[in-house]
Amino acid sequence: MTWNRLTPAGRALAVLLPVLAIGGALTTLLLATFGGAIAATIGANLPIVRFLVAAVVTFLISVPVAFLLIYMEMKIIALMNLRIGPDRIGPAGAVMSVVHGLKVLMKEDYTPPSVDVPVFTLAPVVVYLASFMTLLVIPFAPELTSMGFELGLLYFFAIGGLSVVGLMMAGWSSFNKYSLLGGIRAAAQAISYEIPLTLSVVGIVILTGTLSLPKIVAAQDGSFLDWFIFRQPLAAIIFFIAITAEANRTPFDNAEADQEIVAGFATEYSGMRFGFFFFAEYVNVFIVSALFSAVFLGGSNPPIHIDLNPQILIDLSALGIGLPLIAGLAPVVGTLLFAAPIWFASSRIKGWQALVAGFLIFGGVSTAAVGIWAFVMLPPVASLIWFLIKTFSLVFIFVWMRGTLPRARIDQLMGFAWKWLLPASLLNIFATAFAVLIAGS
Amino acid sequence: MDRRLAALLQEKVGERLLTPVRQRYDESEIRVALNDATDTLRTLHDDPSLRFEMLIDLCGVDTGEEMQVVYHLSSSTSGDWLRVIVPGLDRAAPRIASATFMWPGAEWMEREAYDMFGIIFEGNRDLRRIYMPDDFRSFPLRKDFYLADDASRSPAAGVRNMERAGTPADATAATVLRKSPGV
Amino acid sequence: MTQQMRPSLDDPRVAIPAESTWYEPAPIPQTERQAEFLTLREGEMFVNMGPQHPSTHGVLRVIIKVNGEKVVDLDPVLGYLHRGVEKLCENADYHQAICYTDPLEYVSSLFCEAAPVAAFEKLMDVDVPRRAQYIRVLTMELNRIASHTLFQGWMALDLGGITPILWAFIERDEIVDMLAALTGQKLLYNYYRIGGVNGDLNHEFMSRLGTWMSRAAAQIDSNLALINENEIFVRRTRGLGVLDAKTAVKMGVTGPNLRASGVPFDLRRDRPYLVYPELEFDVPTRDEGDSLARYLVRMDEIKQSIRIIDQVLHEMPDGPVMAKLPRLLRPRPGRAFGAVEGPRGVYGTYAISDGTDQPFRMRIHDPSFVHLQLVGPLTKGNLIADTMAVMASLDPVMGGVDK
Repeated sequence: MTWNRLTPAGRALAVLLPVLAIGGALTTLLLATFGGAIAATIGANLPIVRFLVAAVVTFLISVPVAFLLIYMEMKIIALMNLRIGPDRIGPAGAVMSVVHGLKVLMKEDYTPPSVDVPVFTLAPVVVYLASFMTLLVIPFAPELTSMGFELGLLYFFAIGGLSVVGLMMAGWSSFNKYSLLGGIRAAAQAISYEIPLTLSVVGIVILTGTLSLPKIVAAQDGSFLDWFIFRQPLAAIIFFIAITAEANRTPFDNAEADQEIVAGFATEYSGMRFGFFFFAEYVNVFIVSALFSAVFLGGSNPPIHIDLNPQILIDLSALGIGLPLIAGLAPVVGTLLFAAPIWFASSRIKGWQALVAGFLIFGGVSTAAVGIWAFVMLPPVASLIWFLIKTFSLVFIFVWMRGTLPRARIDQLMGFAWKWLLPASLLNIFATAFAVLIAGS
Repeated sequence: MDRRLAALLQEKVGERLLTPVRQRYDESEIRVALNDATDTLRTLHDDPSLRFEMLIDLCGVDTGEEMQVVYHLSSSTSGDWLRVIVPGLDRAAPRIASATFMWPGAEWMEREAYDMFGIIFEGNRDLRRIYMPDDFRSFPLRKDFYLADDASRSPAAGVRNMERAGTPADATAATVLRKSPGV
Repeated sequence: MTQQMRPSLDDPRVAIPAESTWYEPAPIPQTERQAEFLTLREGEMFVNMGPQHPSTHGVLRVIIKVNGEKVVDLDPVLGYLHRGVEKLCENADYHQAICYTDPLEYVSSLFCEAAPVAAFEKLMDVDVPRRAQYIRVLTMELNRIASHTLFQGWMALDLGGITPILWAFIERDEIVDMLAALTGQKLLYNYYRIGGVNGDLNHEFMSRLGTWMSRAAAQIDSNLALINENEIFVRRTRGLGVLDAKTAVKMGVTGPNLRASGVPFDLRRDRPYLVYPELEFDVPTRDEGDSLARYLVRMDEIKQSIRIIDQVLHEMPDGPVMAKLPRLLRPRPGRAFGAVEGPRGVYGTYAISDGTDQPFRMRIHDPSFVHLQLVGPLTKGNLIADTMAVMASLDPVMGGVDK
């Protein structure tokens, strides 16, 4: 039969194409019939629709972010360890973490006997929800904030604290002493570090007079000297240490210290439920880095404002019939242009190889050109890029610490939070308030 | 080794020695009777001119006719090493006083000797199996331990009863395979 | 007696008392000490670590009695790796016995074979040629460095640092490859023979050794810089598991662990064997006796080993590497104790000959076995994480502990 001779991709297409066609037809029909009513409903409930869209988008970006971070960690730590790291799947092993994710999906999801099944099942869900819900308030750019509401910072701390509940649920319901110890460690650690974490940003709240993250970012507009890391250095240090502990990262990864308590709260988990814990950890790393860059590193503000004032105004409509002609011919001409020198360079390079290389180079160059154009012309893109640069620099620091530092002991960890970070953050609040008072009077 | 140690030993614990002090290479060796063992060890440990304070090794030996316990001591003043052999433990029920009162570190070595030879060290607080499982019944290093695959002796005999922990009931009468009365 | 019974949740075929909180039938205490250990007081529970656990250096099982995070008591359970090497050696001839001792401490197997070889040579009155003695010293010191660098990585790994172990493997791999070029094996060398060594130094070994020696000191320093000054590492090990000199001697501790407590006891100097009396080296000691001191003493020993290797390379004479011996060895009846100073302490072999070609009794003394006893006393009152740090600093190798 024809079906048997098809490749897997062909079979997928054969199934998908009719589905798409029928689905498209049905959707068109639906829109034509009820379009007006749907538009009216959406228009009436705009905040709810906005929230739904934001939630879906944040959920959707959380998974690729986790994959990216996992790959970053594998590769960077490998290089620090003088290993090669993942190099088999994708260019330089870039797809490795996706394959890991698929592997986790396909593994047996085992529920040991004698665990508390509902709690055991819900725990990873709670942890993951708590992680990605905090993504809602991250101000990627002034125009790209999912929910820029007024109590953003408070919302962040409140929802971020929820993940402890999930970890405790996992630790308690697993019916395993390692899990119990891990859950209790996680709870003790998160609660202890929640306090200096929250108190350290009070100074910034005093300075800006708001808890809204976009407004805090806007308050750091200007040169990089306006960033709060330079105006509140003590707070920045406390905040950084506290988010390291909050995200359960080395040197504060006591909750899953594999040399001591095997895998902590995740000991009894397998399959995708373990995958949720795993993803949540990396999403957390991204989120705390994003928060740090928003609060202390100026978020989406560039370090130095250079007003390029671009006046590149091309009236595309003036080209008339030339526009589709250019759009159609540019790839061909570009590819040939880049392919020609490669083909001439060596007689060992075959024609098709030169063409493929030329096409790839043309793709890269044109993408870069469009990117630079967008960066210059579209403010949200520039803001987003600055924000991501800062965030991923912080992620790199977290990975670096993981590759470098041993683990702190649990009592040293708690003692550090209560004996040093808490007084220091209080000191920071008083100093800031005093300075504001002096400056105000 | 040096004659000073031999003379000293002769002087301090001479009346308890079963045989004269034997010296070969850098090792000195004395033999004391079972009843004198504790006193001798205490003298060797406490005497200011000897001070054999470090227990390097403690082990049991089955000669096929009797059990022995062998201590290797090291002196912290002169650096001399001394081997104290306590022969004459009954093979059927070997018992000796524990050395843990003086060397707490002897605890596991005595456990090992108990595990391997069945020597009971009176006074050891934790005398139980250390290597073999708790329900193991025989003592593997005894000379009559039934070796299922005695490869070096019976070249083509192959593997028999490898899984059985104790001497099987149908084994030929508990034979002591090797004897060395001179040890 | 009608006790209410229920099937165990672990294994439904086993019936256990209905009110029992144990999953398995509670073990019947056999000794006073075990009874004390198995009695749980208010707020205490057992945590079972091993035999499959990430940081037990092999297959060791440790039952830890904890009160919260605090370790109240612990009981190591040995025997998962017990192979009956002593019995095997009694049933092998003298040459075969040497290769049985190799896998004891698989990270420093040259020392494991050096001890029985020393004992057998005493039994047989064999004089080892001087070149063979130098080769033995050279290879043993190389093996000591390999073992200590591995220890450094393990120690950092048990404290949660993942990079040092891979850096430590640079040195270790190079040394292991070097010894493989010499002996033909990467781990279990089986190189020493009664009366000498298996083969003379070859070109590949010497060229590798020369290259390595030219960069060894710098490389090892850069490895040390990874964690020696690390605040977290130092804080986690300083003052932890303090072993004072008196207790250390009474517990039979030897090697770096003893020297870290301030007792300068080193067989290479105090009871010289081979050509050690002709070589110049220091015996590094420290007075603190804590985990950090045990770590630092080993790191200092690496440098002394490099010094020894340097001297050996300069002073090694030419000549045969094997004494003339009959093929079949039948020593006179007698007893001998051979001991060498290994990277963990005194490796001893007490061999008894009864005049046949097989040792009548071969007792193998392993320092790891003695040191593992200390984990209990040293960690009482500390936290679970400290158990790993103390165990790592004592550096036991389960292959040697379980014989």
